[in-house]
Amino acid sequence: MKTASKFLATVAGTMIAGAALAQDGEPIKIGVPVGLSGANSVVAPSVVQAAELAVEEINAGGGVLGRPLELVVADDGSGAVGAQKAFDSLVFRDEVDVLISMETSAARNAGLPIVSRGKVPYIYTSFYEGKSCNPFLYVNAWVPEQQVPPIVDYLSSEGATKFFLIGSDYAFGRGMLEFAGAYIAETGGEVVGEEYLPMDGTDWTAIISQLKSSGADALITSTAGGAPNVTLTKQLRGAGVDLPYANLAVDEGTAASMGAEAEGILISASYVTGIDSEENTSFLAAMKDKFGEELRTPNDLSVPQYEAVYLYKEAVEAAGSTDARGVLDALGEVSFTGPRGTISMSDQHHAPLTMYLGQVQADGSVSVVEAFENVDPGEQCPNL
Amino acid sequence: MTLLLDIATSAAILFIVATGLLTIFGVLKIINFAHGAWLTVGAYCAVAVGQAGLNPWLALPVAFIAGSVLGLLTERFIVRPLYSRPLDAILATWGLGIVIGQLITLGFGRDVQFTANLIPGTMDILGTSYSAYRIFALVAAVVLGLGFSLLMEGTRLGLSARAVIMNETLARGLGLDTAKIRTVTFMIGTGLAGLAGVLLTPLTSVDPTMGVAWLVGSFMLVMVAGQSFGALALACLLLGGAQVIVSTYISPILGGVTVAVLAAVILRISPKGFARA
Repeated sequence: MKTASKFLATVAGTMIAGAALAQDGEPIKIGVPVGLSGANSVVAPSVVQAAELAVEEINAGGGVLGRPLELVVADDGSGAVGAQKAFDSLVFRDEVDVLISMETSAARNAGLPIVSRGKVPYIYTSFYEGKSCNPFLYVNAWVPEQQVPPIVDYLSSEGATKFFLIGSDYAFGRGMLEFAGAYIAETGGEVVGEEYLPMDGTDWTAIISQLKSSGADALITSTAGGAPNVTLTKQLRGAGVDLPYANLAVDEGTAASMGAEAEGILISASYVTGIDSEENTSFLAAMKDKFGEELRTPNDLSVPQYEAVYLYKEAVEAAGSTDARGVLDALGEVSFTGPRGTISMSDQHHAPLTMYLGQVQADGSVSVVEAFENVDPGEQCPNL
Repeated sequence: MTLLLDIATSAAILFIVATGLLTIFGVLKIINFAHGAWLTVGAYCAVAVGQAGLNPWLALPVAFIAGSVLGLLTERFIVRPLYSRPLDAILATWGLGIVIGQLITLGFGRDVQFTANLIPGTMDILGTSYSAYRIFALVAAVVLGLGFSLLMEGTRLGLSARAVIMNETLARGLGLDTAKIRTVTFMIGTGLAGLAGVLLTPLTSVDPTMGVAWLVGSFMLVMVAGQSFGALALACLLLGGAQVIVSTYISPILGGVTVAVLAAVILRISPKGFARA
């Protein structure tokens, strides 16, 4: 009898404690719509891993305002149609508190109206073609104004004057090359050809033949990441193209697995694994520790994802709640020092970044040719 | 010169990709919509051979055998009951294609795989430096085409297959084992598709959905070509050539739809396509 009442008391006690904990600890949901299938499938797993590490670290340190973070990942198929479904289910069914994700521009553009309707803060962590402005949208990755000048300046200093531009026919491909073309003209170079193939196109033959007959002395490409990038590089190498080749859309991991075909490719990025800082070293060690054999090489898309989770944490703490209005105001003010240095989305919802010009080596590693400190994103959203 | 080479090699690649589909359509009168999946299976054979550290050329026989064996199972369990229902067969093979794609995703993951380049570098053709692999693809297409005509014209199996094409009831009446001929043809078709998958790997990224892009093009070509390999070669040369010319002189984006548009126009004017013989 005595033991029974003791037992009941314990149970009741546990239940009360449990209820109190659940109320305090109701998770803050972070929606991650990402291209697990389709064009982004090569890089998406690394992005999810980076987000998982950030969440694990933050939860281990007591969460945000005493509440744990919880990731809700949804596959957007790397395209507009999949993104509509993914955003819809995250915003209205899962009722996430924030969206943090790396996506194709097509997917982002399809998702934004849903974000506006659901009034959810959205941190976009992928480099993109720029000038996407929405009160709910913050970006912590680079835009053409930050990425292209280092590449063009470097190629010009190596003696290139005639540039050929090749891209995938979508917002990012066209946006990047449009900017590159204008910048080349501004700095005294000449664009001798500019060609595009649909995102699912597989045959670059005609474009490569035009490139070879154009007399170009440098090549700049901006395809969708993943499959089109690999296909184009294979066919370029197959056709014996050995011009200086800058790729605006290849990440370090893809370059590494392409092996010899990627050797010599110039990339311009806000993150390379070789950054020599304490934050980067401990980040890389933590990633390796958590994922071991399964680790996808951290890259210029996954590191911003990691930092964005922390930026969101800072913003919620500054605002004192997950209320969208307060968080949105705070997102433009807070900063976080991560693997890429100190990041603050203080400039018209975009972030000044240090850019690295790198070259892919025969073993797939990227060596830094030059670093450009705190490059300004320029006039992205003057009305925000 | 480069343009001519572009046309010839593009046609050759289309031909290589479409032969497997034509083999099955020609004899069995069904469209194998799992064709794209078999291309993918072939390409992943190249990946597997590479991972095992074997000579990349070994992928060709491996893919042919893997394609044939899977073809045998498919013919026996999925396609055989559907010969008299060609529309249902399209649905069944399309579904099978999706299943195969998902199985590959489960086995290898969704991301792009990398394979060793069979023939890297370029060679000089009459003063033009050109991709050595594309020249090889041209040779491979010719060998494939000639080999197949020989098979059809010069062997017992070819004779039987042609008998089935012309009049199956009569062929069966003459004592030919038409069921067996169907099985063997299906196996050859899927084997060829696997082979084509390996041959594609140096030109394209290898991922679970890679076959779909090629399926549509080969489907159009086979519709235009009907049942003859000669007609298929002609269709590849004309439509592939048009694609290269449009891509070169107008826009690569329009070039991407040239094959589909031309095939539709040709079938509108001449419903039997090039298959007059």
